[in-house]
Amino acid sequence: MRIYRRPISSTPIGRAAKRFSRTVGQSILNVMPSHIFTSKRAIDTFQKIGKYVTPAENRLILGMTAIFMQVGIDAMNHRVDDETRHISMARTAAKVIAGTLTGFAIRKALIKSVDAFSKLPTSLGKDGKPVKLTRLNTFFSPVTKALPDSDEYQNYKNGLGNVLALIVMLGTNFAIDLPLTRFLTNKFAKLGGGNDKTSD
Amino acid sequence: MIKPLTKYASDFFMDIKNSLMRSFGEDPGKMLLHTGTLGWILSSLAQVMAVVLNDKIPKKQKTFLIPQEIADAGINICSFYIFTNSFTKLANKMVSTGKWRTPAIDAFLKKYNLKKHIGSYDFNIKDLANFDEIKSSYKAIASGNAIAASTIGSIISCNLVTPILRNKFAAHKQQQAIARMEAAEQSAFVPQRGISLETFQRCAAINCSKNGMKI
Repeated sequence: MRIYRRPISSTPIGRAAKRFSRTVGQSILNVMPSHIFTSKRAIDTFQKIGKYVTPAENRLILGMTAIFMQVGIDAMNHRVDDETRHISMARTAAKVIAGTLTGFAIRKALIKSVDAFSKLPTSLGKDGKPVKLTRLNTFFSPVTKALPDSDEYQNYKNGLGNVLALIVMLGTNFAIDLPLTRFLTNKFAKLGGGNDKTSD
Repeated sequence: MIKPLTKYASDFFMDIKNSLMRSFGEDPGKMLLHTGTLGWILSSLAQVMAVVLNDKIPKKQKTFLIPQEIADAGINICSFYIFTNSFTKLANKMVSTGKWRTPAIDAFLKKYNLKKHIGSYDFNIKDLANFDEIKSSYKAIASGNAIAASTIGSIISCNLVTPILRNKFAAHKQQQAIARMEAAEQSAFVPQRGISLETFQRCAAINCSKNGMKI
């Protein structure tokens, strides 16, 4: 006997959640300003962001803003004593630097690698001629009925590179991030005049 | 007939690639959101271990830093998902409902008398029959818009909301831990003097009931 399960969206709770989400979404859309991007510069900027901001660049932007914002917030945290605040700042800075450096480098390397091994019949080599397809250089190429759109294919390569980077980072989080964060925390705590116990 | 293991592995890998192509190809914002959330889970795990294994951090600071890391992990993951998802969804809706559009899209909507639907939650330009006419113009802003929104959402969640909330939580936890440690230190120095009032009452009750005395 087969059991037919109703999808969650067709249950009363699912329908109520959908109605709520729709009402909230519509209310937000109503207050948002309507805009026509007439400037070519604005459209070019969007295109450049779409083309060049991969997960690697995204991680770099996140890390660069984190250095100022997160350390600043820790510096203004007066709920804890001076010594704890000082170590907290050192640790946040160390964590951000270690995480950003390894996160950016690994993502960038993996996205480049995926790019090299996911060629299509339309892919061109450095000399501008079509690339000869082999089993190796099509290792990450998906099988689709039609040739994928170039932008969508770039998004796919970025996504796959990022997924592979996360798998690699399972190891590097412990092998590189951890000792580097520890080293930098102790260095920063010492630089900022931390107590003897926290310094090397 | 049993298929060889390599064939299954190959099919499985192909399914993963095709699934990634379907889900990430069209929506780079979704890709950044999902992989970002997974990334934060993994890196948070490593950061908690970093504090636990660092012998150079005194115990008093560890009572602050370990809860800080755990709070950081929980809040980071939740706020990253909530904020980034909201920003990405809103940005996608702004473009798909035509609220943010290029002059070519505006002319297209005018041509087919669809301007009255602009900003309606259920309206989606991509679902229109003649979408191919403006596909390139739509894509020019859609992809970059989703990535920009996802990046802004993650900056707000990871660099603003999380540090403020985690510091509040960790400071509270540190106060509790220090109070517990001080209470334990104090109780270790309190000498035992006779018996407690509770013990005395219990003994007195037993003694009275033995003698059959009633009050």
